[in-house]
Amino acid sequence: MKFRNAERQLAGIHTCLMMQLFCFIGTFAVISPAVAQSTAQFAKANQEFAVGDFKAAIADYEELGRSGQNTPNLFYNLGNAYFRQKDFGRAILNYERAVALERHHPEANANLSIARDEAPALELQPSWLERYVQFASVNQYSIVAAVAFWLGILGFATLIFARRRSATMTTLSIWCLLLFAAAVGAIYALERGSNGHALAIVTGKNVQARLATAETANSVLALPPGSEIKILSIRGDWIYAALPNNLRGWIPAKDAERVGL
Amino acid sequence: MVEVSMRARILLVAFAVVAAAQFARADSPSVTAVLSNSEAVVGETVELQIKVTGPGDAQAPEEIPVEGLEIYRTGEDASSEIKFGAGGLRVTRSVTYTYTVLAKSAGTFTIPPQTIRVGNSSLPPTPALTLSVADSPSRAFGSRPGSNKQSMTPTELAFAELVVPKKTAYVGEVIPVVIRVGFFVQGEVVESPVIDTQGLTIEKLQMPERPHIQNINGRQCRLYTFKTAIAATRAGRFQIGPAQVNTVVLAPTPQRPRVRRPHWPPDFPDLDDFFNDPAQQEKLIVKSKPVALEVKPLPPNAPPSFSGAIGNFTMTSDANPKSMQVGDPITITSTISGRGNFDRVNAPVIKDDRGWHKYPPSSKFKQDDEVGISGTKTFETVLSPNEKKQALPVLAFSYFDPAKEGYETLRTDPIPITVEGGAAPPGPSAAAARSAPVPAGLTAAVNATPVPAAKPADILYQLTDLGRARSFAPIYARTPFWIAQLAPLVLLLGFVGWTIRQTRIGDRKRQRIAARQHEVSHLLRELRHGDVSPQVYFSQAARVVHLKTALARNINPNAVDAETVAKTFDLNENERTQLRRLFERSDELSYSGTGNGAETISKDEREEVLRFVENLRV
Repeated sequence: MKFRNAERQLAGIHTCLMMQLFCFIGTFAVISPAVAQSTAQFAKANQEFAVGDFKAAIADYEELGRSGQNTPNLFYNLGNAYFRQKDFGRAILNYERAVALERHHPEANANLSIARDEAPALELQPSWLERYVQFASVNQYSIVAAVAFWLGILGFATLIFARRRSATMTTLSIWCLLLFAAAVGAIYALERGSNGHALAIVTGKNVQARLATAETANSVLALPPGSEIKILSIRGDWIYAALPNNLRGWIPAKDAERVGL
Repeated sequence: MVEVSMRARILLVAFAVVAAAQFARADSPSVTAVLSNSEAVVGETVELQIKVTGPGDAQAPEEIPVEGLEIYRTGEDASSEIKFGAGGLRVTRSVTYTYTVLAKSAGTFTIPPQTIRVGNSSLPPTPALTLSVADSPSRAFGSRPGSNKQSMTPTELAFAELVVPKKTAYVGEVIPVVIRVGFFVQGEVVESPVIDTQGLTIEKLQMPERPHIQNINGRQCRLYTFKTAIAATRAGRFQIGPAQVNTVVLAPTPQRPRVRRPHWPPDFPDLDDFFNDPAQQEKLIVKSKPVALEVKPLPPNAPPSFSGAIGNFTMTSDANPKSMQVGDPITITSTISGRGNFDRVNAPVIKDDRGWHKYPPSSKFKQDDEVGISGTKTFETVLSPNEKKQALPVLAFSYFDPAKEGYETLRTDPIPITVEGGAAPPGPSAAAARSAPVPAGLTAAVNATPVPAAKPADILYQLTDLGRARSFAPIYARTPFWIAQLAPLVLLLGFVGWTIRQTRIGDRKRQRIAARQHEVSHLLRELRHGDVSPQVYFSQAARVVHLKTALARNINPNAVDAETVAKTFDLNENERTQLRRLFERSDELSYSGTGNGAETISKDEREEVLRFVENLRV
């Protein structure tokens, strides 16, 4: 009887493992050709770039981006292609996208600096809080916040049910919740800051930020291509944005693109 | 305790105020002066405002002596403005001194520059202001006819007058023009006046909000004043006007000869006055006389920074921040104030822009009058130093002054700044960058260095690895992140459930112990009374022994035997014998029936058993 049960259990495990293997192979079979196709198109675009056909390279890179291949290297190469086309606004936009996906992308950071000098683009000045908290990314702060939150809650649950309340456990729980609050504050500062989700890059040429939503309104600031702005609100075809040098103004929506997709 | 808390709060607030004061920066002192109107007629008053920004203890004169004018101070208004900006807290205090200027005679008067004293020092003087006073319109009409309504002509009902303060001007010079429309009877302007200005550009006429009443030759006149400005586009002789105004007036109807009714009381008004309308509405076009203007060309040899500005201007400039790294932007704010053609006032020119990167300037204009001749134009120019600098470059602004009939150039003082870092050295060429790719680590190190770090001249190479696709959405906005939170949630719920179960188990054990203790005390009480049968007595005594042993060892009382009791309470031989006898008697009486043994227990035996049972302690 015991042997029969053991045999049944082994057969169940075997079936389960086989199903998992089939699932894995099936997924791989579907994904693998898509990955191969993307890699081939990327290589083709790189080849076009190498022979100086920057327009074709841009078209191929853009198509890869539209298919969902949002990789730092793709945006970096696309930025390079735009740089060669002297479209510094879009070059900076794509370098910024590469850096947004991978903060420490060395090539993108280096080329971004060069493109800004060439443009010459204006940059938003981060606030003092943003400068303090930007040593880590939003994702890192999110993980820290989640871990600290659960540790703090577990600590407090232990304290509630324990017969004797330990001072160490109380202190640790309070510190965990304080760390959670600090991490949430850092996320808020980064997301609302100059490099947050509202960051956009001026891609148009001869763009003037204006006092009102009219081409005839007084100019607030001339924005060279590649200049950073922070979108505050959108009204029709106009964007109200925070500008470099602590200014604010309206610019046509077609002349700027968000970094985050 | 409350007092201490209050003190602490007061100290905190005082500290915050002192700290804020440390960071607060006051604006640099400045003085501006403006006339509410640069034209007037004899007997009319205009307002002069001198605004002092910066220090709080400024001393303005009570009166300003000018031949032909009476100028007295009539008001003082202080205000403060706090701004938060990149440079920190900025406090701007300003005091506006208001003077009433009464024009006593016709002519062009210059209100001299006024020096405002602050303590022992003086602020920069105000600009000289010009007031053109025209003759009263009453003179143009000469002696007015009497009040006989029957003989009134159109010009006696209403009049129009064109006031041009200058007879000669320069090409591009903005000349203020005033059209005054007066009514001696009830009437109003239907449309804006039309001026014939061939060869001249004219600003849009500003409609007056309401007329003001003026006494002209003893007759009350309702006066509408329209303001505009003209400028000549070429040299030559021009005729301004006439100005033509469409009006509607209530003209008095001619009176019929009255027939006196004989029976009518002499003091009663005539019935005709009730039934006859004394006035009728009439459309009336009033015209002014034209004014001649001679326009001269601008003299040659204009300075390089001249952009066509004509008038009288002053310039101030400021920069923020004053300390920066090479490559950082610095905003220069240049303010040009005065009177003139502000549409031709361009940003000041940088005299020497070597080592600077200049961005296109922005501008905004704040006019002080209705037609925009007087005001302040502010330019913001962003510069970026390419190398170490000690001071900002000098800015120059040139204009043509019609009063002095010459070009003037205003220059800013070099503003000292601190620029840290060195000039960016030339980087490797494009070919070098492509042929010898920079290792990722090295590039990262280069980027980690602050702004003055070396930058390559050309962009780096293409990357051949596509890499892994990533999301722009932050991790907290993705579903897997929140699904992952289920794991600690389940852990927390499991922990809480386990703890609650453990607590309940602990509670049952305590209840059992309490019940046994209660039973022990109850049985001992009964044993002390002793009025029970021997069977019950010994049975209860044995039960007490079982319960006490079970409580001491935390075991089931039914599992207790003599040996366990002896070990638990560490009994000696004599006590063991007593215990055995107790258990034997209890068993004997329980199992052999009540017929065996004595009916009662002797007092000695009861006390011996009771003492033994009570003395059982761990």
